[in-house]
Amino acid sequence: MATKEKTLVETQQRHMGMKALNRISNTAVYILLTVISIVWLLPFAFILLQSFRVESTSPVGYVIPQQWGLDNYLQLWNSDFKRWYINTFIIALFAAVFVTIIQLCMSYTLSRFRFKLRGPMMRFMLILGMFPGMLTMIILYRVLADLGLTQANAVPGLILVSVASSGMGYYVSKGFFDTIPKSLDEAARVDGATRLQVLYKIILPLSKPIVIYTILTAFMGPWGDYVFARYVAFGTSAGYNVAVGMYSWLTNDQIAQMYTTFCAGGVIVAIPVTILFLCLQKYYVEGVTGGAVKG
Amino acid sequence: MKKYSDLEFLRLSKWQKFCYRIIAFFCGIPGAIAGFFLNIGKTIQKGFQSFIAELKDIAITFTTGDWKTKVSYIVMGFGNLTHGQFLRGIMFLLFEIVFLFYMITTGGYWLSMLPSLGHQGPTKEYNAIYDQYTTTYNDNSFKILLYGVLTIFFIVAFIYTWRANVKQCKTINMILKRGGKLKRSGDDLRSLVDESFYKTLLALPLTGILVFTVMPIVFMVLVAFTNYDGAHNGYSNALFTWVGLDNFNTLFSWQSAGGGQSYSATFGEILTWTLIWAFLATFTNYFLGMFVAMMINKKGIRLKKMWRTILVMTVAIPQFISLLYVSKMFARNGLVNLTLQGMGLINSPLPFWENPMWARVTVIIINIWIGIPYLMLITTGILMNIPADLYESARIDGANGWQQYTKITLPYMLFITGPYLLTSFTGNMNNFNVIYLLTGGAPTNSAASGAAGSVGYTDLLITWLFKITTGAESQYYLASVVGIMVFVVVALISLVVYNLLPSIKNEEDYQ
Amino acid sequence: MASVKLTNVKKIYDNNVVAVHDFNLEIKDKEFVVFVGPSGCGKSTTLRMIAGLEEISEGTVEIDGEVVNDLQPKDRGIAMVFQNYALYPHMSVYDNIAFSLRLQKESEDVIYDKVTKAAEILGITEYLMRKPRALSGGQRQRVAIGRAMVRNSKVFLMDEPLSNLDAKLRNQMRAEIILLRQKLDTTFIYVTHDQTEAMTLADRIVIMKDGYIMQVGTPDEVFDMPDNLFVAEFIGAPKMNIVKTKLVLEGGKYYVTPFGAKIEVTGEKGDELRKRKVPAKDILLGVRPEHIQLTDAGHDSIPCTLVVDEMMGSELHLHVDTADGTRLIVRTPTLEMSKAQRSAMVGGAKLHISFGGNAMHLFDAQTEKNLLT
Repeated sequence: MATKEKTLVETQQRHMGMKALNRISNTAVYILLTVISIVWLLPFAFILLQSFRVESTSPVGYVIPQQWGLDNYLQLWNSDFKRWYINTFIIALFAAVFVTIIQLCMSYTLSRFRFKLRGPMMRFMLILGMFPGMLTMIILYRVLADLGLTQANAVPGLILVSVASSGMGYYVSKGFFDTIPKSLDEAARVDGATRLQVLYKIILPLSKPIVIYTILTAFMGPWGDYVFARYVAFGTSAGYNVAVGMYSWLTNDQIAQMYTTFCAGGVIVAIPVTILFLCLQKYYVEGVTGGAVKG
Repeated sequence: MKKYSDLEFLRLSKWQKFCYRIIAFFCGIPGAIAGFFLNIGKTIQKGFQSFIAELKDIAITFTTGDWKTKVSYIVMGFGNLTHGQFLRGIMFLLFEIVFLFYMITTGGYWLSMLPSLGHQGPTKEYNAIYDQYTTTYNDNSFKILLYGVLTIFFIVAFIYTWRANVKQCKTINMILKRGGKLKRSGDDLRSLVDESFYKTLLALPLTGILVFTVMPIVFMVLVAFTNYDGAHNGYSNALFTWVGLDNFNTLFSWQSAGGGQSYSATFGEILTWTLIWAFLATFTNYFLGMFVAMMINKKGIRLKKMWRTILVMTVAIPQFISLLYVSKMFARNGLVNLTLQGMGLINSPLPFWENPMWARVTVIIINIWIGIPYLMLITTGILMNIPADLYESARIDGANGWQQYTKITLPYMLFITGPYLLTSFTGNMNNFNVIYLLTGGAPTNSAASGAAGSVGYTDLLITWLFKITTGAESQYYLASVVGIMVFVVVALISLVVYNLLPSIKNEEDYQ
Repeated sequence: MASVKLTNVKKIYDNNVVAVHDFNLEIKDKEFVVFVGPSGCGKSTTLRMIAGLEEISEGTVEIDGEVVNDLQPKDRGIAMVFQNYALYPHMSVYDNIAFSLRLQKESEDVIYDKVTKAAEILGITEYLMRKPRALSGGQRQRVAIGRAMVRNSKVFLMDEPLSNLDAKLRNQMRAEIILLRQKLDTTFIYVTHDQTEAMTLADRIVIMKDGYIMQVGTPDEVFDMPDNLFVAEFIGAPKMNIVKTKLVLEGGKYYVTPFGAKIEVTGEKGDELRKRKVPAKDILLGVRPEHIQLTDAGHDSIPCTLVVDEMMGSELHLHVDTADGTRLIVRTPTLEMSKAQRSAMVGGAKLHISFGGNAMHLFDAQTEKNLLT
C-alpha cells in the first residue's frame, strides 16, 4: 500500500515537473525570441531614426535625433538619387517581366518535355553555374560598350544582362512544376489540347504561387545589385542604380556629409520593396520552401 | 581493408562502427576517383564511337540515296524543297547562304587572325604640319578573339545543321518507302505549339545563355592563356597575344613576383579563408536558423506568425542597405564603438575592421544576422513536414528532447536539405556582396598585396578577382586564371559531395 | 467504335530497359479487353502507347485500320480515364467535363446537353458546380469517366481506374463500369493489377509479365486452362496450390504422386494426356483451393493437419499441412457445416482431404508450361 502511494506521489511530481519545465522553457523561448527580434529590427530602426536627424550629417554616437526634420529627404530630392531610383525601378520592372517569362519557359520545358538533349543540357548548365559569374563581366562590359549600352546608357545594358542569362535559374520553379501531376497534362492532351493549350489552360492557372514568387524575386534582385551595375555604369552618375549610387555616399570622403542622407535613401528604397514583400510573403515562403530545397 | 558483412558490422561496438565508417569512406575515395576517370574515359570512347557511326551513316546515306539526296550534300535543303517541304528547305538553304557569305566576307579573316591575335598594334606617326602625333589603330586583339570564338561557334552550328540536313534526306526516303506522308510546312508550324513546343519555349532562354554566358565564359577561359591586361588591351595601347600556360605557372610558382609574397602563397591564403568562410557561414546559418525555426514552431508558443514576420521583413530589405549600414555601425568611429566608449566600457575603439581576426569573426557574425531569417523560412517548412508519428513513436520509445533532435529532426533535415547545403556552400564561396559591402576585403594584408593588387584578410577569391580586374593594372589574364581555379574548386567539392549525399543515393528512404 | 491492332509493338526506354517485348494483339470492335499483371509488367506502358502518351519504339498500332504511330493523342480518337483521375483542380466539374468539347469549339448549347446528359448517367448532376477538391474518391472517378464519355471516342482507355478507391466502393464502381459499357457500346481497353476486376469485366483477358504476354483468353479459358504456371497462380483467389511431384504412367493410366498419395488423372485431362502420349516426368501439380474437398478418412484421402483457419463468412479458408510438410489451402463452404464441425476446425485438428482427377492442372517442371496446351 505504501509503495503504491509513493509511486502515485512520484507520478504526480513527474507530471508537475513536466508542466513546470514546459513553462520555464517556454518563458526562455519567449525571452530569446524577443531578444532576437530586437537585434534583428534594431539596425533598421536606427536607419529610420537617423534619417530624420537634422543637427549633423555624419555618423554619431547616438541614435535618437536631437533635432527632427525632413532635411535629409529634401537633400535626396535634390541629389541624383531620383535618377538612380528611377533607373533601378525601370530595371526591376523589366527584369520582373522578362526574367519571369524566360525562367518559366525554361523550367516548364525541363519539367514537362523529355527530349534527347535535355539531360546533357541540364548538366551543362550545372557546370556553367560553377564558373563565377563575375568573370564574364569583363567581356560583357566591352561588348556593351561597343553597343553603347554603358555609363549613361547603363539601364538597357543592365536589363539585357540581367535578363539574358536568367534561364539558368530555373531550379526553383522547375521544382514547383514537378509537383503538378503529369497526368493532368496527359489528360488534357487526350482531351484534345495542344501543348500550348496545356500550358495556358491547365498549368498556368495552377502555378500562381510560383509565378508570383518568380516575379517577386526578379523584381527584388536589381534593388540590391551592386557589382555589375557598378561595372557597367562606372563613373557616370546618370547610369547608377541605387546600390551603386548610395555606396558612393559612404566612401571616406563623402560619409561625413551624406551619412544621414544615406539613411533616408535606405528608407525610401526599403519601404516599397518591403511592403510588396510582406503582401506576397505567403507565395515567397511557398516558393522558398517548396522549390529552393529541391533544386 | 577488411569488409564486414551486415551481421558482422552490427556486432561491432559504437566506436568500432564509427572507425569502420571513416576508414570505409577514405578507402572509397580512390575508387570513386578512379570511377570518375573511368566514366570520363567511357564517355570519350562512346563519343568517339558515335562519331564514327555518324560518319558511316553520312556515307551510307550518300551512296544509297537518290540524286536529290546527293545534291543536298552540297545544296542544303534541296531534298526538302524537292519533296514539298518548303519551310524546312528554305531555312536550310538560307542558313547555308548566310554562313557562306559570312565566312567569305569576315569570318575567314577573324579565323586566320586567331592564332596570332593580330600582328600590328597601334602606330604613332609624327605629323609635321600639325606638329602632333596621330595614332593609327590597326589590329584589335580583343575583337579578333571575340569574333574568332564566335566564328568557331558558327562553324560548329553549321556542321550540326548540315548533319541535320543529311538526316532529313534519310528520313524522307524512309517515310516514302514506308508509304507514309511527309510533313508539310503547315504541319511544321503547327508542331511548334504542340509536340515541338519545347523548341519554341527554349529558343529565347537558350539564346540568352549562349550569348551572355557560354560565349563570355569560353572567351574568358581563353584569356587565361593570353597576356590581356590594362597595359595590353589589344587595341589602343598594345596588342595581347597567346602566352600558353605562363599565367598558370605564375600562379603556381613559389617564386615571388617582383618582391613580396609569391602568387601561390597569396592564392593559398585567400583560398583557405574562402573555404573556412564558406564552411562557417553555411553551417552557422544552417543550425542557428533551424534553432530559431524550432523555437517558433515549439508547441505552446503563441504569436508564431508575428515572430516569423519580424524576421521575414529583414529578408525584404535590400542587402546593400543593411550591409553598408551595419558595416558603418562597427567602424572605428561607428555607433557601436562610440556608444561603448560613451558608456565608459572601453577606452579605445574596438578594432572590428582593423584586426584580421576581429574582422573575420565580425563578418561571420553579421552574416548570421543576414542569413538566419532566410534559413528560418526554409527550415520551418521542412520541420513542419516531418511526420508527427516519428516523434510520437520516439517518445514512446523513451527519447528525450535532445535525442529526438539528434535522432529524428537532424537526420531528416540533413537528408532533405543536403543539396541545398551544397549550393549554399558554393554560393557562400562566391558571396561577393557580404564581404565587399561589409569590409571591402579590409584589413589590408600587406604581405600578400603587391603584384596581385591589394589583398585583404577578409578577401574571398571572388572579391580578389573583382579587385584584380578593377585595380590599377587590370590583370584580366590573372582574373581569368583565378576564375578558372574557383571553378575547379567548386566542381571538385560538388563532385565529392554529390557522391556522398544520401539524398541522391537512396532517394526513397524518407518518402 | 473501332478495332485496335498492335503488331510487334516494342517499348525500349532511354536507359535501354525493355518494358514491352513484341506485343501482338487484335482487339475487335466493341470488345472489352483487360490487360492484367503485376506492377512493372508493361500493361500500363502498352496502354499509354495506344493512347500516344508514350512513344512506340518499334512496331505499329492501328486504330480503325489506320496506323496511328505518328499521331498526337488528341488525333487518335481515344478517351482515357487515369488512375489518379487527373481532374483539373482549378475547374468545376462542369468545366472539367466540358473541357474537351470546348477545345473542339462546340457551341455552349451542345456542350450543356452533352455534359448534363453524362452527369445524369453517372449521377453527379448535383455536383456540377463543385471543384474536384470537394468531391469524394468515388465522385471524382465518376467525373473522370464523364470527361471521357463526352468525347464520343472510338476507343475507351482506362488505366487502373479503381485502384485508388476503397474495397467497397471498388465493387460498386466495377458494377457501374459494366453498366456503362452496355450504354456506351464501344471498344474498351482496361488496365488493372486486380485479377477479380479482370475476371468480372473482361470479354478477353491479356495476362502480362515482364513485358511479355503470358496468355490471352476469355475469363473462362484463363481460369480453366491456364497456359502456364504464372497464369495459374495469378488468376483465382486464394491462389492455386502448387506441388512438385511426378507424373507416372501405369497400365495405360496416368497418375500423379503428391505427398505419398497416388491419384489418377481422370476425365478429359486423362484422355488428352493419352492422346498426346505424354511421357512420365517431373511435374508441378496445381489444384485450386475450391477443388479440394474435406472428406472422411478413406483410401483416397490425404491426411493433414490444420494450421490456420480463416473465416471468410460464406466460406472457410483452411491452411493445412500434409504429412510431408507441404502447405495447402482449402476453400470450403460453411453453409452445410454444423456448429460442431465448425468448432472442431481449430489449429492442430486432423483432417482428410481429396481432390478429383479432372480438377488437376499439370505443368512441366522445367518449362512451367501446361502439359495440355
